Order: sequence, then structure tokens, then C-alpha cells
Amino acid sequence: MQSNKNKNRTMITTAIFSLALAASFYAMAADKLPLSGKTVGVTIIGTDHDFDLKAYQGQINELKALGAKVIALDANRNDQTQVSQIQTLIAQRPDAIIEQLGNLKVLNPWLKRIKQAGIPLFTIDTETPYAINNTTSNNYSIGSELALQMVKDMHGVGKVVMFNGFSSVPVCKIRLDEIRYVFKSYPGIKIIKPELRDVIPNTVQQAYSDMSDMLTKYGPGSGLKAVVACWDVPMIGATQAIEAAKRTDVKTYGIDGSPEYVAMVRNPKSPAAAVVAQQPYEIGKQAAKNVATYLNGGSVPSFTLVPSVLITKAGKK
Amino acid sequence: MKLQTDKTDTSSNGYTLQKMAIRLGAFAAFLGIMIFFAATARGFTSSYNILNIVEQSAILGFLAFGITVVFIGTGTDVQKGGIDLSIAANAGLCTAVYSVLLEGGYGDSVAIPAAIVTGLGIGFLNGFAVVTLRIMPLLSTLAVMNIAAGLELVVTQNTVIGASSPVLDMLAFDKFLGISALAWCLIIGSILMVCIIHFSPLGLRLYSVGGNLEAAKSVGIHTGRYIYGSYLFSGFAAGAASILIVSRLSSSTPGTGLLLLPVLAAALLGTVFSRRFVPTIGGTLLAVLFIGALSNGFQLLGISSYWVSGVQGALILVVVAMTSFAKKS
Repeated sequence: MQSNKNKNRTMITTAIFSLALAASFYAMAADKLPLSGKTVGVTIIGTDHDFDLKAYQGQINELKALGAKVIALDANRNDQTQVSQIQTLIAQRPDAIIEQLGNLKVLNPWLKRIKQAGIPLFTIDTETPYAINNTTSNNYSIGSELALQMVKDMHGVGKVVMFNGFSSVPVCKIRLDEIRYVFKSYPGIKIIKPELRDVIPNTVQQAYSDMSDMLTKYGPGSGLKAVVACWDVPMIGATQAIEAAKRTDVKTYGIDGSPEYVAMVRNPKSPAAAVVAQQPYEIGKQAAKNVATYLNGGSVPSFTLVPSVLITKAGKK
Repeated sequence: MKLQTDKTDTSSNGYTLQKMAIRLGAFAAFLGIMIFFAATARGFTSSYNILNIVEQSAILGFLAFGITVVFIGTGTDVQKGGIDLSIAANAGLCTAVYSVLLEGGYGDSVAIPAAIVTGLGIGFLNGFAVVTLRIMPLLSTLAVMNIAAGLELVVTQNTVIGASSPVLDMLAFDKFLGISALAWCLIIGSILMVCIIHFSPLGLRLYSVGGNLEAAKSVGIHTGRYIYGSYLFSGFAAGAASILIVSRLSSSTPGTGLLLLPVLAAALLGTVFSRRFVPTIGGTLLAVLFIGALSNGFQLLGISSYWVSGVQGALILVVVAMTSFAKKS
């Protein structure tokens, strides 16, 4: 009887001891997480686009996995909301802020205030003097690679419809400028003036109707061969318009890698010819890792490039 | 006969009690939410944060004052009364005109009057459609909203137009007595509005036009002019707000029209804070600050930003339903 009691007591003690041990290991592990005890603010203009949403999720998930408390702010495509959110965020004094995309003219004065408040700023797809690091794709090579693919498909001759509605977004400007730069070497290729403007919201519908008008104006035999924009959502509308007009002489080219457009490129019958797919989730994760490195005293380069891939009808390159 | 009088008395007492209950309930809800935020959201009551809320509410406040004046001059009845659905789109057009002129090298001395005149022009169009052409305000201002939104696209080509000027720098960065310029705009604007609307013969006559059109006519008030005037003022408010918008965003951006819903919400919510459920400047100001404090408090509490608009909408629905119910009874 006595020995049974002792046995029970030993078992209970062992159980408690092992529980305490497990708890302390867990606590140690939590302590070891590079961002435990840190608060990081994430501000984004909107998440209605596939790229935006995946990059947003990538950074939030990675920040949480690294132990940080995250203040995630989606402005639902409203500049005033984003500005107010950033203002309140500065007052909350997080250990770091990540800002993703958005309009530089609107954001720069507020990014400056973040820096003035002494809060380390990290960006995704936004080149600004106030950030410690910008995580992005190599937009220079994205633009030129896509342009060269277009030149190849067009055999160096033909007319191009270009959408340029987002030239005020830095990554878009770089891509469009690169495309124009490549075309300069091929005098047989002409961009139709005036260029078209892609919009948010109603991107697909607007591109569909604009493209339909262009197809009417530039019929078969006019030399129109390609359509391009700095992202791929308007190209979904343009591709649908070309299909509806039953034209086989015009191809579309996009950037980002939205699932719908990638599926179009992979479809052998679709006029969608090529897309440079970025890795938005990876970009988001990388930005979070940079925050962790910086807050733990490590050095972070002024930009981090995440590889992108050109997808054509023939496959990945 | 006596019984009849008693009955009327009782029902009027009940009516007043019910109204009072709703009004007190609104104040209690407002205070309750503020106390909740103060107790739970770290930093909510810091002076820096409170000034942030005031600053963030300035644009909404200016626009809500515009629509409040339309409500005062034409009544809040959705079908019979007036409304200005074009106010946010008008502000968008004014920001476009202001930014394009600044970008084109014209100074504030040209660009600011041009923005205000644009706002007044759209306001005049509303007045013309409602008073002269006698089109239902809900439809006429909706049509004008589309005109203004279309013109904004024509002016900006749907792009972001950066703007900078000494006035914008002052509004964006200057402080006086520790209070930012934008917050001062709301404070001074509110005081001026209270003086004009609640303490001047002009304001009292405007209330009488909105309260009972026929009675106002019978005492010799030119009601048409007052209704025209209220739409013109709404246009002026849009023009003035556009300067504040550009100072905050350093540019004119598409999407100013999205402000319509919060502006309407603030003006309608504001009526709950008045004794007879009529639109007042103080009530609108409280409602504007309440809407500003809600998003701020939510962010400080770490509640996902996705909840903010939903909860705001639900609150507005409850309050508006309660007031219209009280009015009917």
C-alpha cells in the first residue's frame, strides 16, 4: 500500500516535472524567436489584386512565425484611409513598419514622417529614400525580358498597344520604361499613341472595352500585333476582347502572374502569349526576414531582389 | 373632450420621453464607446492621439457641414427633403482643378479661388436642377454627382497629380499651440458654422425654410433663394475641403467620391444628438469625431481593419433606424 502511494507520488512528481520542463523549453523557444516582444506595423493600400494579397499574407505570416505582434492595416484602396492609418500607426510607435506598393506622391511625405519619428521603415515594391530596405523583383529585367520576348514574337516589326495608367507607381514606371528602351533598338516596332490608361477598380471591364475599340480601329492587316501593361489584370480584359473579336494576329503580354492570366498563357488557344510571374508570397516573407535581421542588429542591404520567371506558351524560362 | 386632451397629452409625453430616451441613449453609447476605448486601447487618451483624431476628421467635417446645411434648408425627409449626393464627387473635381492648376505653375492665388469657384459651380448646378427645374433632389444630385465624377476624370485623365504650394505646406506641417493646422481648420470652421447657423437671422430663416416651406413662404421668406443658397454652400464646402484633401495627400487622387458614404453617415448620425432630431452643426461635429474615433480606437485595439467599415455601417443603420422610428411615432 505504502509502495503504491510512493509510486503514485513519484508518477505525479515526474509528470509535473516533465510538464514544467516542456513549458520552459517552449518559453525558451518563444524567447529565441527573433521578433518576440516586437510589434511590427504593416500598411497596404489594398489587397484586391492577387499580387498584393499574397505579398501581404507572406509578410504577416512570416512576422507572426518570427514571434512578432503584427498591426496589419489594409486601406481598401482609399488613399485617405491609408494616410490616417499611417498617422495612427506612428502614434502607436511599433518597432518597425513595412509599407507595400501604393502611390509614391501620396505616401512619400508620410514615409518621411515615419523616418522622422525614428521608426525603421521597410518597403515592398516602393523605392523611397526613407526606407532601410526595399524588397522587390528585379523590375528592370522584368521589363526588358518581356519586351525582348515581344520583339521575338513580332519578328521585330509591328504596332503595340500599351496601357500606362500606373506610371506614378514606381515599379510600373521602371517596367514600362524598360519596355520602351528595348523597343528603341527595333525601329520597326511602334507604340500606338495615345497610349491607353488602365484603371482600378473595373480594371478588366475597362481594358476589355478599350481593347475592343482599338481592335475596331486597327483591323486585321493594320500591323497591330501586341498589347502590354505593367501588370496582368488589364491583360485579362484585353485577351478576352481579342478572343471575342476572333483575332489571331494580336497577342497580349503581362507581368505579375495572377492565376487567371497564367492559365490563359498556358492555354494554347488563348491570345495571351507571355507573363513574367513574380513570387509575391516570397517577397512578403523576405521583407519580414529583413525586419528581423535589422532589429537583431544585423545589416540589411538597401534592396533585396526576389527572382521572377518568364512563362510563355512553351513553358517556363 | 377632456378625455381627448388627456390622451393627446399622454401621447405627446410618450413621444418626448421616447425621443429623450433615444437621444440620451445616443449620448450614452457615444460616451460608453469612448470610455471603453480609453480603458482598453493603449494611448487612446493621449493628447497626441486625440489631436490626430481631430486632424483626421477635418475633411469629413467640412463635407459633412455642407450636407448638414442642405438638410437644414430642405428637411431630412429622404423623399420630400433635399440631399446633396454630389458633394464628395464635387470635392474630387475641386481637388483635380486645384492640383492641375498648381502643377501648371499657377500659384495658390489662382488655384484656390478656382477650386472654390468650381465647387460653387457644381453647387449652382444642383440648385438649378432642384429649385428651377424642380427635379427630385435624390435624382438630380445623383446626376450631378456623375457629371462631377466625369469631369474629374477628364481633368486628371484618371491619374494621380502631385501638388505642392506654400499653403499646402502650411496645412500639412505647421502647428500653432501644439495643434496642427488641419485640426485648427476644423475647430475654427466649426465655431464659424455654429455662429452662422445657430446665432444669426440667416441661420434661423434657413431652419424655418427646411422646417416648413409653406409657413416660411407665408411670412415672406424667399424660400427658393435659401434652397439655392444651401446647395451653393454645399459646393463651397466641397471646394474648401478639396484644399484640405490635397494638403493631406500631397496630390489629387482618384477615389475622393468614396467619401460620400461617411459624409452622409456623419450628417444623419448628427441629428441624433439634437433635441428635436434636426440637423445641427454641433451634432454633425460630434458624429464626425465619433466616426473618426471609431477607426482610430479599432486600430489601437488591434482589431482587423476589415471590421471597421462593417461596424461603422451597422452602428449607422441602428442609429438611423432608431431616429426614423422615433420620428414616425
